[in-house]
Order: sequence, then structure tokens, then C-alpha cells
Amino acid sequence: MRDAGALLLARARATGARSLAVVGTAKNAGKTVAIAAVAAALHAERTPFGLCSVGRDGESIDALEAIAKPRLFLRAGTVFATAAALLPRHPAVEILEVRAERGALGPIAIVRVRAPGFFEIAGPSSASAVRRIVQHLLELTGFAVIDGAVDRIAALRNSEDAIVVAVGATAATQAHALDDVCALVARLRLPRFDAARPALHVAGALTAGMAAELVRAGERRQVVVADPTQVAFGGRAFLALAVHLTLRCERELRPIACTVAPRSPQRAFEPRSFLRAVAAATGLPTYDVYAGEEAA
Amino acid sequence: MSAAWSLASASAIGIDWLLEAIAPAGDFGRRTRAGERIFGPGDEAAALAAIAAVDRVAHAFAPARLDELSATLAAAPDPGLLVARALAGDVLADAEFFEVLRLLDALIEARAAIEGFDGFELPDSERELRAALAAGRSPQRTFYLDSEFDAELAAAREAAATCQAAYDAARGRIASRVVRALGVEHVREGEFVVMRDSLKGSVPPEIHVVREAPTYLLCELVLDDAALATLALRAVADERIAELEERVRIRLSALVRENAATLEAQCARLGELDVLIARARFAQRYDTIVPEIVTSATLAFEAAHYLPLATTLQTHGRRYEPVSLDLAGAGVITGPNMGGKSAALRTCGFLAACVALGLPVPARNARLSLFEEITWLGATPSDEEDARAERGLLSAFGAEIVELRAFFERGAQRPLVLIDEFARTTSPREGRALLIALLERLRTLGVCALATTHLSNIAADAGVVHYVVAGLRELPPQAEGAVDLDAALAQIADAMDYSIARVAERALPRADAIDLAGILGLDAGLIARAREVL
Repeated sequence: MRDAGALLLARARATGARSLAVVGTAKNAGKTVAIAAVAAALHAERTPFGLCSVGRDGESIDALEAIAKPRLFLRAGTVFATAAALLPRHPAVEILEVRAERGALGPIAIVRVRAPGFFEIAGPSSASAVRRIVQHLLELTGFAVIDGAVDRIAALRNSEDAIVVAVGATAATQAHALDDVCALVARLRLPRFDAARPALHVAGALTAGMAAELVRAGERRQVVVADPTQVAFGGRAFLALAVHLTLRCERELRPIACTVAPRSPQRAFEPRSFLRAVAAATGLPTYDVYAGEEAA
Repeated sequence: MSAAWSLASASAIGIDWLLEAIAPAGDFGRRTRAGERIFGPGDEAAALAAIAAVDRVAHAFAPARLDELSATLAAAPDPGLLVARALAGDVLADAEFFEVLRLLDALIEARAAIEGFDGFELPDSERELRAALAAGRSPQRTFYLDSEFDAELAAAREAAATCQAAYDAARGRIASRVVRALGVEHVREGEFVVMRDSLKGSVPPEIHVVREAPTYLLCELVLDDAALATLALRAVADERIAELEERVRIRLSALVRENAATLEAQCARLGELDVLIARARFAQRYDTIVPEIVTSATLAFEAAHYLPLATTLQTHGRRYEPVSLDLAGAGVITGPNMGGKSAALRTCGFLAACVALGLPVPARNARLSLFEEITWLGATPSDEEDARAERGLLSAFGAEIVELRAFFERGAQRPLVLIDEFARTTSPREGRALLIALLERLRTLGVCALATTHLSNIAADAGVVHYVVAGLRELPPQAEGAVDLDAALAQIADAMDYSIARVAERALPRADAIDLAGILGLDAGLIARAREVL
């Protein structure tokens, strides 16, 4: 049993990243557990860091599905961005700034934890606002951890984040969960296009409808998007269409690892076989935060 | 701010542009401006004082300093909601105290920026509130409900920190034993998984198995009595801290409540300052002067700039010719197309609007009165079609007549009426008759009015003053073949003498229309035929 948070952090640093984003294949994919593990590792090594979220996270009960969720326990010194309206009365936090960026719950505050406690993290609504907040957290602390919302990977655009993909026991079967994680990882790992070969550059987002048209038309050129976040469809639709197209991007993202959460409120998968299957299917080093195991 | 002009008139004379140019930077300023009145007849002293104040600020401060102050005012938070909550007895949140402090910072910065200038008062009336919040303020301008606010809070936090350290140590000892027993590197906080095949021997006593599965155990640490005791003590300390933190918030909220009137008054002052700064920046940018304001219906100025046009020409690299005019009562302005007749009308309206808004004017010198309203009759520059569509079935002529009727029905005592080729879309004979009748009426009423027209002898027959635009100094070469419109316009501008002179009532207006049509590329045969017909 090893410290998965520390291992993820080491992988991120090995790529030169100053920020680490966790995105999930679905709700309850274990993002918060992975984030908490990374936060605990950063705290243990006394590295200042900032934390923000693309959506709402850290609440004790899932706001949409009323399922108990792991909360974010943050130690003194942690800087995080959240809706000012979600700041707890206790423990009091140090307000560093109230920003112009807004989320669904109002303006975003940047705060520093002064006494340990559980906190709710709710980031701004737009991807560009998330990037501005991340940049600010980097200026304040030197390292940022981003809790990505389900399938809102637009917030990764133009970023240098090391990306961790979280997959949980949320699909009906392990095979379905593997399909989901393969599709997301494949999308995030779109390779850079080859300038020497013919290419069709797509301005803006590539939708499933546009991709289907290209497949029907027998497109053989590289289909190039600005970056992987511009592929506006995922899951099985992505796997089905991507196999017929040479999808490429101008600017690559940096997925570095996966995490597995073999238990969910609905079901549990066998931890080790799930861990190994995800590693084998995605080709990325994969960690089980609960068991502290790694598969490559 | 209640308008002394219709939307169409505002559009014709560039008031939208002007309002944008003097837009305050922040919410307070926008609120102040919304409540401002427009100066009219009888407000001469107040208007002059307002204009002089803008001029003094424009001359007293460097542009960079005004820019900085403007940025400060733009960033100042509006405490309206939190003040209302405090007045309603709510206990404010920490982020709200932070916002109060940001406002107090803006006041300090604004006060420092205007230090030594005796034209604006920003008293330090928020001193007590600032002092009360100071304990929570860091040099980095953050806010924390610091222990300095309350001695008991300090003690409770210390106790909680001691409990936390004791708990961490106790849990650490248990975790170390588990790490050794399991032969692993690390045991995470909360639930963790132990794979059965990695378990050497039985489950250590420090582990509670939450759930057993065929291949793994879901576990958590069992806390011993010492750890549980520290945990209980920490929970008690936490409760006490929460209580004391809220006690501080209640006290600070009461202070905000007591200072609500002060905060509101200071916000109003910041609003006034924002409006003043925005106007002073306008004055600096456009090199304005304080006009002489008279009580008789007068509009006289030298080298005035119609700024919406001047700035547009500047962005296109073209020359702008300032306008000079001396108008008392009603007058007619004639001259060639593209000679600046309409621009002269707009300059009149623009300068009158500046003074009505309490602004210095962009001219070398100016003497003018305050007008009860500014009315534009005739073509509007860009939204003519939209306006006409709104009027339904009315033709352009019909719309003019309806507007004119409404003007007389309002019965303004001292209006400024600007008439751009009135009745140009009806028969020239009847249009001429209507224009003469209108000018006669305006003259009789003593109204300050200026009308552009291409019709002959209007000034003489209506008994009003006649001005003429000088027109083309020399004829630029006629174009042959395809015409570069920008080049042709520049050529016309270079050849045109835009100066306006008062002439005899019966002086014939210059047209230059056929020459201009040639320069703009109309085919030579058509031009030649037009000259024959003429």
C-alpha cells in the first residue's frame, strides 16, 4: 500500500507541470478522493498549493443526486477558490480576494485555510474564468490542483495541466466503465497533426454530427482540431467515429495517469482486476487511491 | 438624468457618443449620473460652477493620476446589499467584511489622490469603522476573523490547535503500528482497502473491517481511547470557536449597521468624484474650455470641434476642420454638398449639450445660453430608416411634420432648433414655402435656430441671418474610370474650404454638386449633360 497522492504528484512533476487537473468519466468517479489524496501529499511535503473546481464539489451530499460524497478536508495554509456564498461560518477562513469571476452561486472568493476543516469548492461557470483563477492560484502558491467537472473538459483548453482521469464503479459493468475511460483518455491524448501530410483543419468544435458527415464522405485526411477539448463528443460515439477518422490536434494535452474508485454507491468492482484492466486499456499508469496500488 | 432632447435628436447631434465619453468608471458614478439633472435656462450659475469644477480638476491633475483614480473608483465594491443586510439585523459573513475593507481602501486611495486639491471634499468619516476592522487586516489586504478581535477566541483557538496536534500524534501512532503490521508504506486517512493476498497473518487490532469481499477488505483505523479523547476535546473546542467567531461577527455587523449612513454618504461622494473625474478626463482628452454662459438665446463659438466626427476622421487619418459661428436668433446656412453644413448644425447641438451636461466645450472660445430643449428636424444620420419604420406609414416628410407639430405643442420657452434640409422630400416650391414660414415663426418667437438648405433666398424671404460655407477652393481633377472612394473623399476634403461666413441675405448659395459628382466618379457623359441642362 503506497501513497497514491504522492505518486500522482511525482508523475505530474516529472512532466514539468505546475498544475494537476482531475477529470472524471462520470459523476462519483472518485475525483474528490483523488484530489484529497494529492492535497494530502502536498500538505505532507509542506508545498503551498491552490485548489479550484470547474463545477461544484466537496459538498457532503451530491447536490444533484442526494448521495453522500467524500468532502474535502483541507489543512491550514491551503488556498482555494470557491463561491463566496459557500464559505463556512466555521472554521473562519482568510479572505484573500473576491474576484470578478462568478459561478452559479455568485462571485468567487480566493481564501486561505487557517484552521483545518471540511470545505465546499465551487468554481466559476466558464472555462476561461477557470483558467484565470488557476493562473492566479499559481501566482499565489506555485502549484494548482483543479477539480474538473464531469465532461467539462473545455476548462483544460490552453492549459499545461497534468491531467488525471478518474474512473469509478459507476457504469453498469466493468466493461462499460473501461469503454468510458478509454474514450475519454483517447480524446484527451489526441496526437499532434503531421504538418507534412494532408489535413482538414476544423475551426471551432468538432461535433458528432460533423464527424459522422466526414466518415460518410470517406474523409482520409487528418481531421485537425485546435486541441482535444474541441472534440465535442465523447463516450461510445467518440470510439465509434474515431476509428474511421484520423483525428489530430494542433496542441496536445497532457494526460498522465488514471485513478480507479472500485466502489460506488451503486456497485463495487474487484479492485485489482479493475485497476489492471484500466491500465491495460488506456496505456496510462493507474492508481487505486483506496488500496494504494499501482498498475502500469 | 432627464433628457432635454428626443432620442432622434440625441442621435443626430452625437449625445450618445458624448455620454459614452464621460461615462463614470464605477457603479457609484453611474448611479450619481442617473440622478443628475440637465441644466436649463435659469441654471446658468450652477452650470458654470459645474463646468468650472471639471475644468479645475482637468488642470490640477496629470492625466495618469486621473486614470489611476478612475481605476480605483471602478474597482470599489458596492456595499449596498451588505449594508441593507446589516440594517436588517443580519450577521454579516467574512467575505462581506472584506468588501467593506475594500471600500475603505478605495476611500483612502481616493483621498490620497486628491490630497491638496481644495475643490472636492472627501472627509475621513469612516475612521472608526476602519479602526474596528483593522485587527482582521493583513499587510497584503486580506481579511481574517483574527484572534486579536477577541481574547477568548484566541484562547479557544489555541486549545483547538493543541487538541488537533494531540489527535494527529495519536492517530499517527496508530497508523504507524498499522503500517508496520501490514508491511506497507502508507495508510490513507478515511477508508482504505487491504488486499487479502497482501495480508500477512491476521488483521491488526488497530483496523476495523468495514466490509469484507472475496479478494479484499475495506478497512478504517480504530482510534484508541487517547485519540478519541483528543477528538472529543477538539470537537468541544471547535464548537466554542464557532460560537466566538460568530460573536465577533455580530459585533462587527453592529458596527457596520451604526456606520451605514456614513458608508452610504461616502459612496455618494465617491460617485460624485467618479462623475467629476470622468468629465475631467474628457476635458483633458479634448482640450476643452470654459464657455461664457449668457441668458439670451445665443450660440457663438470659434474653432469648435464636433467630436464624434473629429474622432472618426482622425481614426481614418483625415483632416477635421473646426467650425466657427455666431448665431443669435434664427439663421440659414447654405453651401455645397459635403461642405459641412450638417456638421455645423451638429456642432451647435453638441456644444449646447455639453453645457447642458455641465461640461466644458471643445472650442477655442464659446459664448452660449442654456436651452430648455434641443430639437433636430430633418435627416438623422444613421437610424433614419429605423425611425421611419417605427413611425409606420409616415413618409419622411410626414415624420418631419409630426415632429415639428410636437415641438410647437411642447411650447418650450428657450429651445435650440436645428433644421437639416427641412421638407427636402416634398415639392421644392411648397417645401420652400414651408421652410420660410417656419423660420419666420421661429424668428418671431425669438428662438435660436439654424437651418441648412440648398434652396435660394430663404434667409431674405424669412428675414433671418444668412451664413454660407465657402466651398471648393479649386476644382480637383475629375475622375476617370474606377474611383477609389477614400482617395476621392480625401481629395474633396483637401479642396474644400469649410469656413462659414455671414453674407447678405440674398447671396446665392454655392452648390458645386455637379463638380462633386464628377470627382466621386459619375460618368463623364452624364456630368456633361447635367452642365448643359444647368
